[in-house]
Amino acid sequence: MRIIAGMTWKELLRKKVMLLTLLLTVVFLLAFWFVAQTIGKNDVFDGNGMISFSTMIARFTNGAFILMLGFFFGSFVIAFLAIFSSFSAVSGEAEQGIMQAMLPRPLPRWKWYFGRWLGYVSLGVIYAGVLFASILLITRYHAAIPQNPAALLRAFLLFVSTVPLLVSLAMLGSGIFSALGNGVLMTMLYGAGWLGGMLDKLSGSLRLEPDGLVMLHNLTGLISMAMPADSLQRRMTTELLSIKELSGIVDITSGSFSMLSGGTGPSDTFIIYAIGYTLVALLIGLYRFQRRDL
Amino acid sequence: MREAAIETQLLSKEYGNGRGCRDVTITVGKGEAFGFLGPNGAGKSTFVKMLVGLIAPSSGQASIFGHRIGSMEANACIGYLPELYRCQEWLTGLEVLQLHARLCRMDKTAAQRRIPELLEEVGLGQRGKDRVKHYSKGMQQRLGLACALINKPQVVFLDEPSSALDPVGRAEVRSILERLKAKGVTIFLNSHLLGDVEALCDRMALLNDGVILRHGTAAELLSKRSTWLFKVGGCSPFLLSWLNEQTGFQLHETVNQEAASPEDESVVWLEAELDNEEQAGWLNFLIIEQGMILYEATRKKERLEGWFMDAVSGLSHRGEKE
Repeated sequence: MRIIAGMTWKELLRKKVMLLTLLLTVVFLLAFWFVAQTIGKNDVFDGNGMISFSTMIARFTNGAFILMLGFFFGSFVIAFLAIFSSFSAVSGEAEQGIMQAMLPRPLPRWKWYFGRWLGYVSLGVIYAGVLFASILLITRYHAAIPQNPAALLRAFLLFVSTVPLLVSLAMLGSGIFSALGNGVLMTMLYGAGWLGGMLDKLSGSLRLEPDGLVMLHNLTGLISMAMPADSLQRRMTTELLSIKELSGIVDITSGSFSMLSGGTGPSDTFIIYAIGYTLVALLIGLYRFQRRDL
Repeated sequence: MREAAIETQLLSKEYGNGRGCRDVTITVGKGEAFGFLGPNGAGKSTFVKMLVGLIAPSSGQASIFGHRIGSMEANACIGYLPELYRCQEWLTGLEVLQLHARLCRMDKTAAQRRIPELLEEVGLGQRGKDRVKHYSKGMQQRLGLACALINKPQVVFLDEPSSALDPVGRAEVRSILERLKAKGVTIFLNSHLLGDVEALCDRMALLNDGVILRHGTAAELLSKRSTWLFKVGGCSPFLLSWLNEQTGFQLHETVNQEAASPEDESVVWLEAELDNEEQAGWLNFLIIEQGMILYEATRKKERLEGWFMDAVSGLSHRGEKE
């Protein structure tokens, strides 16, 4: 399994997937730096240079906005990295004939599958960790960020949890559909999840009839069940920002925050559902791969 | 009776479209070279893929040195070169071999010694450090052969090993296979190059629509069609008719492609299909007795290609005479 995971790392590095991702990340972080700087200039100092209470609130408000802006982009990047690195894991190699030379070795199929999964997930999680830390550090430099380690850890785990979820689903799809078909399907599914999240966020400000609102909530709930990635990201921002320091000070569900923030975010039950969803996708993918004719 | 390297019993694979293999039963002895022949779509690759564990059989049983096909024990003693071999083109040839060596759990020192030898043997000695994406199809095929042999397998399955190779490459592959055979490695060869199969394989089987039509040694298969040629002087249509009446052999005039045309117009080549040498001897006697001159009597060497063409001609894809 270690050999296959290592091979996957080498593949992503040699194919310059990571290089291009890192280069574009640097570009993003530079842009993010200037955006954060611009927003951070809204700080107001009193005459003797001391930070007043209102300044502190302003810094946290700015920080919250910058963070949400950063993670809004960051969640897209890690989602697409997870999808596009793994969407052809099975079908692509089978179609090209690469797998036919590898699997007649004394290598159980489950080891190959888990090895690939581990390779994609580990690299994705490391990248997500770097992105997460970069966004926090830049925000901290220009504004203020919540500093509760438990909240940060929970937010980090939720942020990276989309990587195993999307990799498991993309690998399952690649065992059923062609590489191209699976790539399109995964992108559309993720897009649908994102759209469902947006509708959920905006539903409060649409002034719908109660019946229409219920139907909309049901619809977005179903979409979230089919693709929980966006809901996990919304829960992440909720976790990150709903800590003591900001509680009751910054209203993240209103104004310009509403488009970027997670609003109330999904429940703990939904988190358990998402974990189960990931495991089931992984195990069904493995089950199908074990029985697949190559 | 030598130990069985490959044994299959009623091995079948059914697909939705009806293709695949049906009730294939063969035994390949240890150290034997076995040729698997058949037209395109006959089910040869499906059969080999079942033996190496890539396709699960629908029914039947098979083993390699007593180990169930597809098991780790069976896979540990085989090498497999798929048709149109492809590998991770972002690796170098050296790295591909290192990867396969690690998958075979080879000792690192042994692998370091074996890999350069193999690269040299398949003619890639100078290109091992190049990325595979810079290799031609023929070079990739050679690399595939090296991968198949990395673990010094007891059985090698080769699916059209020369398909992407130039004539020099084909000769080299044939030479490698001959060396493997001399070392006692069991070879299972799927090939359309009937000359290679005839030269290398001890036994062969003809598959059509997933069913084995015939199998045996080359001599057994070819002896079913024993054609004799007689170079005769002073032959006339009357004498030819008389010989046919006496023997019932359907002797007829022919052109011998492998010999120059006789200068004397009265000298002709006669051809007949005979069961054995006694019949040839009797015919010789009758020709001489009738005052004709017998210059030469020879058994026409049947090429496997001719036999193959005869065997598959007129067959539908269901393996039946149309």
